[in-house]
Amino acid sequence: MARTSSLTELARAGFSELTRSRDDLAALDAAQLWPRADWLEFFSASADPDSSLRCVRDLLERAPEEAAAVILAVPQRLVRLLGASQALGDFFVRNPRELEWLTDPDVSPLPGSDYIASLLGSVEAQGGVAGLTGDPGWVALRIRYRRHVARLACYDLESSEPARAFDEVARALSDLAGAALEASLAVARASLADPTSLGQTFPREQVAAARLAIIAMGKAGARELNYVSDVDVIFVGEPDEAETVTTDRALLITTRLAAETMRGIYEYSREPGLWEVDPNLRPEGKDGALVRTLASHRAYYDRWAKGWEFQALLKARPIAGDSELGADYLAALSPLVWASGARENFVGSVQRMRERVTEHIPSEDVNYQIKLGPGGLRDVEFTVQLLQLVHGQADDTVRQRGTLPAIHALAEGGYIGRDDAAQFSAAYRLLRLLEHRLQLRHLARTALMPTAADDQRWLARASGLAPTAEGLVALWESTKYSVRSLHLKLFYRPLLEAAASADSIPVGDTTLTNDQAAARLAAIGFLDPRGALRHIAVLTSGVSRRATIQRALLPVLLHWFSEGSDPDYGLLAFRRISDTLGTTPWYLRLLRDSTAAAGRLTTVLSGSRFIGELMEKMPESVAWLEGDNRLRRLPTSVLNEEIDAILARHDSIDAAAVPIRHIRRREILRSAIASLVGVATARDTAQALSDINTAVLRGLLGAIRSHAAVSHGDGIEFAVIAMGRYGGTEMGFGSDLDLMYVFRPTHSGLDTGQAVAQFIVSELKRLTEDPSLPFDIDLGLRPEGKNGPVVRSLDSYRAYYERWSLTWEAQALLRARPVAGDTALRDDFMELADSVRYRDGVSDLELREIRRIKARIESERLPQGADPLRHLKLGRGSLSDVEWFVQLTQLVHAHDIPGLRTTSTLEALEVAAAYALVTEEDALLLRESWVLATQIRSALTLWLNKTSDVLPVDRAQLEGIARIVGLPAGSATDLEQLYLATTRRARAVFERDFYGEP
Amino acid sequence: MGSDEKGVFVDKQRDFVLRTIEERGIKFVRLWFTDVVGTLKSVAIAPAEVEGAFSEGLGFDGSAIEGLTRSFESDLLAFPDPATFQILPWRGSIDPTARMFCDITTPDGQPAVADPRNVLKRTLEKAADKGFTFYTHPEIEFYLLKSSEYGPSGPKPVDKAGYFDNVPGGTAHDFRRDSVRMLEDLGISVEFSHHEAGHGQNEIDLRYADALTTADNIMTFRTVVKEVAIEQGVYATFMPKPLSNQPGSGMHTHLSLFEGDQNAFYEPGAQYRLSKTGRQFVAGLLTHAPEITAVTNQFVNSYKRLWGGGEAPSFVCWGHNNRSALVRVPMYKPNKGQSVRVEYRGIDSASNPYLSFSLLLAAGMKGIEEGYELPPEAEDNVWQLTDSERRALGFNPLPASLDHAIAAMENSELVAETLGEQVFNYSILNKREEWRGYRAEVTPFELKHNLGIL
Repeated sequence: MARTSSLTELARAGFSELTRSRDDLAALDAAQLWPRADWLEFFSASADPDSSLRCVRDLLERAPEEAAAVILAVPQRLVRLLGASQALGDFFVRNPRELEWLTDPDVSPLPGSDYIASLLGSVEAQGGVAGLTGDPGWVALRIRYRRHVARLACYDLESSEPARAFDEVARALSDLAGAALEASLAVARASLADPTSLGQTFPREQVAAARLAIIAMGKAGARELNYVSDVDVIFVGEPDEAETVTTDRALLITTRLAAETMRGIYEYSREPGLWEVDPNLRPEGKDGALVRTLASHRAYYDRWAKGWEFQALLKARPIAGDSELGADYLAALSPLVWASGARENFVGSVQRMRERVTEHIPSEDVNYQIKLGPGGLRDVEFTVQLLQLVHGQADDTVRQRGTLPAIHALAEGGYIGRDDAAQFSAAYRLLRLLEHRLQLRHLARTALMPTAADDQRWLARASGLAPTAEGLVALWESTKYSVRSLHLKLFYRPLLEAAASADSIPVGDTTLTNDQAAARLAAIGFLDPRGALRHIAVLTSGVSRRATIQRALLPVLLHWFSEGSDPDYGLLAFRRISDTLGTTPWYLRLLRDSTAAAGRLTTVLSGSRFIGELMEKMPESVAWLEGDNRLRRLPTSVLNEEIDAILARHDSIDAAAVPIRHIRRREILRSAIASLVGVATARDTAQALSDINTAVLRGLLGAIRSHAAVSHGDGIEFAVIAMGRYGGTEMGFGSDLDLMYVFRPTHSGLDTGQAVAQFIVSELKRLTEDPSLPFDIDLGLRPEGKNGPVVRSLDSYRAYYERWSLTWEAQALLRARPVAGDTALRDDFMELADSVRYRDGVSDLELREIRRIKARIESERLPQGADPLRHLKLGRGSLSDVEWFVQLTQLVHAHDIPGLRTTSTLEALEVAAAYALVTEEDALLLRESWVLATQIRSALTLWLNKTSDVLPVDRAQLEGIARIVGLPAGSATDLEQLYLATTRRARAVFERDFYGEP
Repeated sequence: MGSDEKGVFVDKQRDFVLRTIEERGIKFVRLWFTDVVGTLKSVAIAPAEVEGAFSEGLGFDGSAIEGLTRSFESDLLAFPDPATFQILPWRGSIDPTARMFCDITTPDGQPAVADPRNVLKRTLEKAADKGFTFYTHPEIEFYLLKSSEYGPSGPKPVDKAGYFDNVPGGTAHDFRRDSVRMLEDLGISVEFSHHEAGHGQNEIDLRYADALTTADNIMTFRTVVKEVAIEQGVYATFMPKPLSNQPGSGMHTHLSLFEGDQNAFYEPGAQYRLSKTGRQFVAGLLTHAPEITAVTNQFVNSYKRLWGGGEAPSFVCWGHNNRSALVRVPMYKPNKGQSVRVEYRGIDSASNPYLSFSLLLAAGMKGIEEGYELPPEAEDNVWQLTDSERRALGFNPLPASLDHAIAAMENSELVAETLGEQVFNYSILNKREEWRGYRAEVTPFELKHNLGIL
């Protein structure tokens, strides 16, 4: 019998440290309990034969009798248990007398009441008060608890289908946790009334009169507890009916009882603690009182509680202590959960809850997290809770505490498909099984998939899910994938089916009524859920390839639309685009193959009407969404070539203008999409908008003049000067095109060329007119404004500037920049402009005049009834304040500081700060205000598809703009406050720096 | 129904309200809210409309209410808070009437930024995020006058008694007894009531409560006092200084912060048992006192009280049992750690309690966050010092007039941030308007002193 095995045999049995194990086996042989061959067979069924063997050897050495008894009775069970849990092995080494409890043939889970009786027995409790106090009590109850856990682990490991056994095991663990708390409370009562113990004690009858109920939340409340996880609890304390003690006294005593009860579970002692008791879900969290009366709990939830706190209540269940008080607590608070669901935006709060959870995972762990990572347990629970909240208000059958019962109830109610429900449950059980096995090994709280191959192999063997490490990881990956896709299927697929079955036979096995489907859509933010259902029906009906693809895709699209600020419009626009593109092959391919592009499509459609309407007219633009390359602005040279080619192709300038206007729309759409999806910065966008307008002006001007040459004979030089934001290359969406025109006759004579120039100007206006995306040429900055001629000769400009020398004109010229026309004239004009705008300083008289004009404009230019606080252009501290300040600085100092000779407001502000013409802080405040007002103006155009200079008061509009500006969902009020505060600060700077001494 | 912060509409409370309306045969339910100035607004609805008001709110035109909205955005919803339901005792049994306070929201359910009750809730929540609950205890002074009409020598008080005087058979005595009973009927606990120093002046102290409850109670209190006065054929006024030769009506308010169940101002070994947190809180109050004065003392008349001598706290300083200091740290009562508190003596009885409490809390919290140092205490009667002495000791004056107070507030980030941009802006415009109107007035003082000799 003492024959040595070959190392090969050991390897075949699953050992990895062969030589060492051979020695250990020899030690077992000495005990002469089983033949070597039998031992090898036992160990081969263990998850970790090496450590199991070492532990058996340890037990035999430390406690030969007890060990031999159990080895003879249930060798397989022992070996398997020790291979799956080193921690339980250590437990038996510490407490070998407990080994005999493994020899029962039947180790099935016990009813909760048996666990309570057993644990109370371990501390010799009578009438809720233990015979043991303090440390001896803690040790006794912990040993008893672990005895039951060890038996439960045996049952779990021996189960033929451990994923199936999960429900039973988790139930028993929850009941055991309750029993442990009960026993610990009994010890606490005894300790508190024990006059010999340290610390404050209380008369026995007072301790008895203080009622304490322990309410379990989270997994313990749902009876889905792990081997080791925090047990979330809430304490409720009250005096007894007879009021033997006052409420204050009862609270004092129960607070001590609660603290002692928690210590009994986890405080350091000879037998290690069981798990953390976490009381932080209580009202006011860590800062709140540990124990409150029932009335105090209720008052808190009535008044202060936040959405997620109600979701926590979803799983509340009395677990230990005074059961009557526990029942009262439940009766008082559980109605609140479902009342909370009735509040608008509760889905938002559920989503925020999940974000809070995922934010806390260290990023390097995300992909190994069985619990919190993508496709993990948290995703399953989140989906189930969301559906419960939507449908649980009308249907109380889905108000289940546990995840699995809830899935079952949702399927029974027809809210989700049966097959999907079965898959979802299976995935959940599998993930929980992995978690359980990982925790069992060291009885430690973990949910991380091991990364070392050895550990993965151990997990494969312990769970029995796969023979190898690779097999296990593959199974896990596919489960994660299926959880992720099942969320979409469970939530959105039934909507499609409901939409499709509205007028025909049911599709699939969910039986969501139209009302229920509408409720679900409304819950995720659709304002017109019935309209949305109609669009869904149209998009998915029929047998075409497109319908098939859209059926597959729509669940995820709906999810994305619901995250946008206007899901209804997004879905409508998508339907229209889809109708137009029909069966275009690239479109179908893009939808099918490029998730990123489809995601972007939903983002831009539900976030911007401006884009939606342009896109409907140019559906081919959908193709740009694949990748970033086609969203980048085209170089000017490419634009010019394209426009020149069009002009060359067409004989008539009117015919050529049509495709040229199309190019402008196309490029503006491109930059709108790029700015919304974050491919382009504000600077890129400004440059792109300026470039496309310049290219169009350049092309059309050239064409008009060559045609005009035929009919009129040209005889002039002509140039287009960009002014305002266009001149500063700081345009946004919806900005006007501020221009001035200048000409110069090429020969002297009677004909001054004025008529030709005017003809060019009117042709430019006519040819650029575009009702679907107005060109908005604004000539208001020309000399004499609206009263002046629309175009002047260079001489006329010169004469005008020399005669009047108005600071107002100089100020306008600061942003003059030539963009099209004859080079020589452009240069001469700019020389003239420089002499006006960068002249040597400003007199005190002029300075006063500038300030007075500004002051007058503030009251006069603002439209009737407009709120100065909200006017983006002329309001308090907004664009015009900042621009006037910068322009005044330029007028005064640009002569001496060449850096200030720029048409860009922001650049000039930066230079001014660098030269200490304004403090860094003030410059920053002005800059912030200018940038924000600019962003909001652009965002308004994108959101509304029309321009507006006023910060809206409508909440939905504010929300949409806030998203475009880059704030998170739900920021309407924040945006408003941000704008008002930013402009208020800018105005304070302006009043000091502009009206004060410059 | 609004975000997490909004009063949560709890089935049980709502049911209780609806049931009580049925059982007690309530004929009207008044929905109460407060405008920015602090005037109570009331809309009466029929019992049948109450359920709808709970679930969908009651729409009203906010532009008609002072400062509540921008003039062009008028749609607002009032959501009654069922926890505040009370039957009004003075309506008798003929047409029993009840009231509830409301939270105001925009049509999309966001709390209306300009609802003073929401300003306070927001500020309390910020403090709650830091772990603090804010408790207040106001001592409200007011005058009983024979009538709201007044002759050339000003209003006529009902009696000529003094501090703590018991006036046998006097109006004031009956008056206080009836008021106190009515307040208790409304669930508002009264701590103390007595005759004050001025002729016809009375004081009633409300029991300690969280600041939101206290502010609601103050609004109710003012209504009750006015109602009882009408019943007894006299007139009650909360005007800060109705009689030039008598003391003004202040609303000294005791403040304390709790961390969980512990008084955060209490520290056993410290001077006056005032903890570091408490000292920093007081430092915050003092530092920001001038800029919050336009709210705590919001009328032209308020400054007649602040600068009227007597016990008025005109200078920014603190003291222990010093009745001339702006902030007083009262005597510590042995074994009453939970009752350690500080008393802010600047507020007057006509302030908007929601906004005043918000600013006091914000100022104190700022002191805690920034770790302000508390200056040395004022041990003398500050009024008896000379200007130079006060300057040397660093006791700066509070603003001398509404005009100065507005100027101090305009530059305050603290006030803007706490009130929110809209309320802040509205208050400034509104107060400037009042100051302009006052400045344009030719007063009896001028006529008396100038007309005869000029």
